[in-house]
Amino acid sequence: MKERTVAGMRCSEVLALLSEYVEGELDVAAAERIEGHLLGCPNCERFGASFGSMVVALRREAETSEPVRVEAMERLLTQLRKASGER
Amino acid sequence: MFDRQTPQLSSSDAELIALTAAGNHRAFELLVERHASAVLRLTTMMTGNSASGEDALQQAFLSAFRHASSFRAEASVRTWLLTIARHTAYRLRAKQAREAPFEEPLMKLGLDAGWGSDNPESLAMAAERDEILHHALRTLSSDDQEVLVLRDIEGLTGAEAAQILEINERALKSRLHRARLRLAVALRATLGSERGEREGGPQ
Repeated sequence: MKERTVAGMRCSEVLALLSEYVEGELDVAAAERIEGHLLGCPNCERFGASFGSMVVALRREAETSEPVRVEAMERLLTQLRKASGER
Repeated sequence: MFDRQTPQLSSSDAELIALTAAGNHRAFELLVERHASAVLRLTTMMTGNSASGEDALQQAFLSAFRHASSFRAEASVRTWLLTIARHTAYRLRAKQAREAPFEEPLMKLGLDAGWGSDNPESLAMAAERDEILHHALRTLSSDDQEVLVLRDIEGLTGAEAAQILEINERALKSRLHRARLRLAVALRATLGSERGEREGGPQ
């Protein structure tokens, strides 16, 4: 699979900026150039969409991960109390 | 200081190194002029770039100058210099590898992550499944894991994450992007091996 130049950008340039693009960190001109490329390049468009979804899924990780076990939390609190009593 | 013998352009390498060992700087300069190109070709090839190749060239000739008296005539001066250059370039390369691990080309990483494949969507599908995401995260290097946890999972800003990792924000962006691509590679691999087990396993 070879990269192409679409809308004045090579696929590798788009690939390099993908994280900043999905974060909305690029300036307007750079974002528009990428969007122009994505419109004409199915490889980058499909990969970019999937990559963006992966980042969103990662962000949900903090909400769905299991809380600290009760026993572990109690052990920690016990140790903290003991440490503060020793001070 | 008056040299006991004046080096000549016609002097042999062995004569020049003997003069160098006796403290004659000019003799060594002639050796440098003769052999610098060959040394640089070797060091540039070994270190992978001309700047590091030049650094190795400097260090190699300085080392040779300091140890001129240890030259033994069983090898030619050229062989001796190239041996020193090789060791110097090797050390420099090892030092660089420790300081800046080799970064594979981004396009190669993208291809492994599914760019241009028949089903780039499998990446998003794999990330949606907790067990696959957790497994893929566990296979990454600790450098990749920590930047993904801080920036993506914990949602720290680039500046906050960069401060914790003690790198600048530009370096953080680069590290994060590569970590995400490597996660994408790992997700596809995890999904692929799961499918392989299902298809190859008992019915």
